Amino acid sequence: MILQTPILALLLASALASAVALWAAWFGIRLLQHWDLASGSQRQLDLERRTELVSTLFGFVMLIEIAALFLLVFNADRMAALFVGAMCAVGTFNVNGWGFPALYLKITLFFAAALWLILDRVDRLGRDFPLTRLKFATILGIAPLVLAGFATELAFFLNMKTDVITSCCSKLFTPSNEGFAAEMTGLARAHALWLLGAAGGAVLVSGAAIVLRKRGERLFALAGAAFFFAALTAIVSVISLYVYDHPNHHCPFCLLKREYGYFGYALYVPLFAGTALALATGLLKTVANSDSLAGVQPKAIRHLTRLSLAGFALFGIAVLWSIATSQLILFG
Amino acid sequence: MRRTRIVFGLLAAGTATLALASLHARITTAPERARMARSAALVRAVGLTDLALFTEARFTRNPALADLQTAFQDAPMSFEHFPSGTFAPRPAAGFGRGELRFGPEEAAR
Amino acid sequence: MTSWLRRQRALAEYTLAALARRRIKNTGLLLIYAMVIFVVASATLFATALRKEAEVVLAEAPEVIIQNLVMGRHDLIPGDVIAEIDGIRGVASIKGRLWGYFYDRLNGANYTLMVPLDPAMAPPAGQAIIGESLPRVREMPWETAPLFLSRTPGDLVRFDIAKRLSSDSALVSTDLILLNEANFRAFFELPEDVYTDIALSIRNPREIDTIVEKIGRLLPNARLVTRDEIARTYQKLFSWREGIMVLLAGASVLAFVIFAAEKASGLSAEETREIGILKAIGWDTGDVIAMKLWEGGLVSFGAFLLGTVLAYLHVFAFDAGLFASVLKGWSVIYPDFALTPGIDGLQLTALFFLTVLPYMAATIVPIWRAATADPDQVMR
Repeated sequence: MILQTPILALLLASALASAVALWAAWFGIRLLQHWDLASGSQRQLDLERRTELVSTLFGFVMLIEIAALFLLVFNADRMAALFVGAMCAVGTFNVNGWGFPALYLKITLFFAAALWLILDRVDRLGRDFPLTRLKFATILGIAPLVLAGFATELAFFLNMKTDVITSCCSKLFTPSNEGFAAEMTGLARAHALWLLGAAGGAVLVSGAAIVLRKRGERLFALAGAAFFFAALTAIVSVISLYVYDHPNHHCPFCLLKREYGYFGYALYVPLFAGTALALATGLLKTVANSDSLAGVQPKAIRHLTRLSLAGFALFGIAVLWSIATSQLILFG
Repeated sequence: MRRTRIVFGLLAAGTATLALASLHARITTAPERARMARSAALVRAVGLTDLALFTEARFTRNPALADLQTAFQDAPMSFEHFPSGTFAPRPAAGFGRGELRFGPEEAAR
Repeated sequence: MTSWLRRQRALAEYTLAALARRRIKNTGLLLIYAMVIFVVASATLFATALRKEAEVVLAEAPEVIIQNLVMGRHDLIPGDVIAEIDGIRGVASIKGRLWGYFYDRLNGANYTLMVPLDPAMAPPAGQAIIGESLPRVREMPWETAPLFLSRTPGDLVRFDIAKRLSSDSALVSTDLILLNEANFRAFFELPEDVYTDIALSIRNPREIDTIVEKIGRLLPNARLVTRDEIARTYQKLFSWREGIMVLLAGASVLAFVIFAAEKASGLSAEETREIGILKAIGWDTGDVIAMKLWEGGLVSFGAFLLGTVLAYLHVFAFDAGLFASVLKGWSVIYPDFALTPGIDGLQLTALFFLTVLPYMAATIVPIWRAATADPDQVMR
């Protein structure tokens, strides 16, 4: 199964990413040991030069990991045709035990990558490498994720057997099952919408507080994270029903199919982007406090907040649109 | 300045051509779908099961129905003889579901 | 934001001027790069179009085919099997299929002789319906020229042409010779009441699995092929084929990457001096890297566009002429088919990953090496 172009592309990207991550982590260890801005030694000069290269390279890797998440999901959706019993990406990820771990790792990497890229960008705005130590400390945390992502992906693709009967999304997302997915499905529809609305309100208020009053960054980040989970729950519990015009079809992956106009991308892309940006505001507030960033930090935070709010707004519009154009009437 | 414009113009033209290509693909969808529907009707009426893409050998003409071991039919150790056969997937992964019709307990008995 | 844009524009302008100074070398790089992308893109576009065609067209294949296996090989199936499985609920119709191969000693082609399942489709006695390639490989002089088939030396069977199948369906019918049942049995000297295999049509696709299980119990020696399995065989066949093509092209990608890395690391004296001067007049390492990234980005993007557009033309306007000989192998008959044009995001993204990433990976370290060198060292 490994000889498929998208799979080859994914594995190539992950292999390159792993190589760079390993190297960057090794460099990160050295940097954490010897970094001393006050010193003018040859070693410090060398380190300063190399940070430029490693940051650029690792930045690329992070961009690639973000793109790879979408490629992975898109490809899984396409490959569903090859498996007995699979209707959408769920079937593909369920083909063996590595599918969902690979997906979750990629999603985690997506957020880690987005945050790291923002750190990197802010770091370059300061004159005295204000966040460099932190940046490389986080690389030490991200690199294992990259490697684990590659390993699970490899295991996933190598162990794919098309003769295995996999389970379809209709079996995973039903209230009668046990487990997290079923829990999300079973949540009362009105509750899910209320939850989403409340989280949306919290996001809006805390976001406005940042833009107008310059405070509440950490709250905004928390609200963003809460919104993310509320949104996923709402998608599984209610929104998917509206998109499919079907009172019992709960799958959050079928949304990505062509039959539904790739509507899932209109939901997930702004949601993921908005959440990552919201998390970034809290992060910047917490870590970017050095003098050299005094002028930069509030501006950057406000900028991120606006972008994040725009992402959430796009998500909200997509949700409202799906409800408004649906044939299905669930309430009233 | 002028050079930048030219190059960016060329890149934009390339992007536009690619967009044009996908537009072309979209425009031809309807007639092509009609053509494929005619082929599908033929498949139904005649009862065909395979594409007539590789006519050189029996198992390349009808890969979906070929015997499981045909790729090695000339001798057990012989490698693939026909060029198009080299591209065919491994039989183990490609054909049938290969299930035993009894469970392990029955086998133990 | 605007200052950022202005910086990027200035960098782009500078990069283009630098590229133009070594016009021939850079055009060469661009063309080689585009060619590599062209090969990979052609393979993916071609395979995807074939997959699509197989998916749509073979969706109408019989739901289940029952084959008789003797000594592990496909064998004729006796007609009384039909009566045996007739009672199974959910089966809409059971028909024996008659088909076989015929090797034409005249030109070395293999034809597929067949009796249409649908009796309305069968030609009258002594006549045949022929596929699109037969007039070509037999060089039939006029439209209704009869078809002569010779089974043994000295033997000659004549069929008048009832109809020629349109080349629209060449991909499934190019080598077909359709006969009626009596002619078919006479031609192959086949006894009455045996069939090549048996085709079932099943009304409700959800029942296929249970019906297959029931038949499996009734006929333990038979091999059952469902329509889903046929579809999956083709999906896999073409994916595999595409993968092999891409892997082969991978060798050329690798060669290109080595070439690009070599070019980037063995910077000419002129280029090294240029970087030295830039640093001396106040560019910092980040600026030089950004400039070089612009260079890589412009070359990659240009090559990607050129390669993809050319591949599209190759596959859909010129019917993938370069691949035809590979697919044709040793067969005499190759269908004259056009494919349904299509591009999708997954392909383009995968293509971008496969071609641009290695290039970036290969050039970035040499670039950094050049960018961090001390100006005085470089200019000396």
